[in-house]
Amino acid sequence: MLEVSNISVAYGKHLAVDSIGLRVAPGEIALILGANGSGKTSLLKAIAGMQPATGASVRLAGRELAGLPAHTIVEAGLALVPEGRGVFGELTVRENLELGAFAKRARPAEAKNLRHVLELFPRLGERLAQQVRTMSGGEQQMVAVGRALMSAPEILLLDEPSLGLSPLMCKELFAALARIRDKGLGILLVEQNAKRSLAIADRGYLIANGRIVGDGSAASLRDDPAVQRAYLGAAEPGRAMPPPDGA
Amino acid sequence: MFTAALTSGLVLGGMYALIAMGLTLQYGVARIMNLAHGELMIAAAFAALWLFTSAAVNPLLGLLIIVPAAFAISGTIYRLLLTPLVRRAPNRDALEVDSILATFGMLFVIQGIMLVMFGGAYFSYSFLAFPVTIAGATVAANRLLALAFAAVIGLALYLYLTRTRLGTAVRAVAVDPQSAPLVAIDVRATAALAFAFGGALVAAAGVLVSMFLTFNANIGVVFTMKALIVVIMGGVGNLLGCLVAGLILGLAETFVATFVDPGLTLATTYALFLIILLVRPQGLFGTASR
Ligand SMILES: Nc1ncnc2c1ncn2[C@@H]1O[C@H](COP(=O)(O)OP(=O)(O)OP(=O)(O)O)[C@@H](O)[C@H]1O
Ligand SMILES: [Mg+2]
Repeated sequence: MLEVSNISVAYGKHLAVDSIGLRVAPGEIALILGANGSGKTSLLKAIAGMQPATGASVRLAGRELAGLPAHTIVEAGLALVPEGRGVFGELTVRENLELGAFAKRARPAEAKNLRHVLELFPRLGERLAQQVRTMSGGEQQMVAVGRALMSAPEILLLDEPSLGLSPLMCKELFAALARIRDKGLGILLVEQNAKRSLAIADRGYLIANGRIVGDGSAASLRDDPAVQRAYLGAAEPGRAMPPPDGA
Repeated sequence: MFTAALTSGLVLGGMYALIAMGLTLQYGVARIMNLAHGELMIAAAFAALWLFTSAAVNPLLGLLIIVPAAFAISGTIYRLLLTPLVRRAPNRDALEVDSILATFGMLFVIQGIMLVMFGGAYFSYSFLAFPVTIAGATVAANRLLALAFAAVIGLALYLYLTRTRLGTAVRAVAVDPQSAPLVAIDVRATAALAFAFGGALVAAAGVLVSMFLTFNANIGVVFTMKALIVVIMGGVGNLLGCLVAGLILGLAETFVATFVDPGLTLATTYALFLIILLVRPQGLFGTASR
């Protein structure tokens, strides 16, 4: 169980994340929906220790992680697939996956996790010797998710994994995420693709200007007219409402 | 004469390659442009000389003492002197500039200490200096031994970086330090490790060079310059590039000295460097991670 409370991120005077709290249980997908610039990336980076945060408590299985360096947080069982993937493009698929298991916690189950990842993304198995830089965006995203899974995490954070993927790739990726959840991992998913992500998520949070402005089960969010207006492109009866930027 | 020049060139080139590998590791991974690199090499050469002349320790045994010591000293230099710069630097470019200034100062400190201890005179000692004949050319045995050791050390480093997980982590920090923490790599510790490895490599080169070249306390900077040229020629962070560029430089210098005029060696070095910069500014092999 990941429990985050009162986390804030400031860039100079600008407060990008304003005292957010959330939790992710094992075996569930918690979704974060929010417009561009609402602070989603800052929030995930702060939880993963990649971005300094203030006043936060980040507890994983009861252990306090706030303030620890990012590499130690991975060791504690929390893995981030960042915006833009963060794969090692110069290295091969095999080397990327091998580095995924760099954490000591990942070593005992490394062979099993590798089998699991290759089962989830069979395409990676065919491309083990390929330099990641030369792969398609969707394949690179699979490397990023696979690499994160190799660290044997309890909680997986994903920042817009479907960005730039074709509908088919996107479907494949989301099916994989659902299977990862079914194995008992907790997933915190940031997405712009509200329709697809609400279809696999269990719960969701709405975030605007760095604050949580709503939350609920995936079903209740799907039926919420405000959500439909803002993220699902539905028009209000009577007048047409354009969706906000980028949604 | 051709074979003699060829073997001498290979020996010299092997030394350049080893020195440059140390520099490229320090620069590529730790982003420290170490201008005191050659000074550590000459310090190692003096240590080998001292062990040989006053304690009768042969330089090959000396390697076993000097190389680990250089590893420890370089690691300590990184932790004590360079870590404050790393902490302070807002980004890796700023660190590069700071490190040039800091190691430029370090160059004079180490050189000064050596000048006080040994003065400016040239030193050498005679170890396995008997001639060996291969393919019709005579070469001193110590040169062949130095080349063999350089080859073994270079190969071991290459295998370590490409075939082990820790080596792969070192390359990951070189290519993408921002992403490395995502896979539990401690970037600062890895940088310190790479810096220490670089020091160990150049110290090994110093010991090997001391077996067959005369050296003095001022000469380190010449080797730093050549290592820089080899690193840029081979592509920054590229170990195989270091090997090829080092050999090219060693051979070119020796052939020009043998068949044209010894006074033109330095001119050859810079001419080669200029040509490569003009034709392939990214280096012979680009800045790949292997
Ligand atoms: N390094 C930075 N320096 C200054 N401001 C930043 C920095 N990173 C983000 N911001 C600002 O913080 C706010 C939140 O940015 P963030 O990237 O977290 O949003 P996001 O919800 O992930 O947006 P997107 O959907 O476009 O990815 C934005 O106003 C952004 O301009
Ligand atoms: Mg973002």
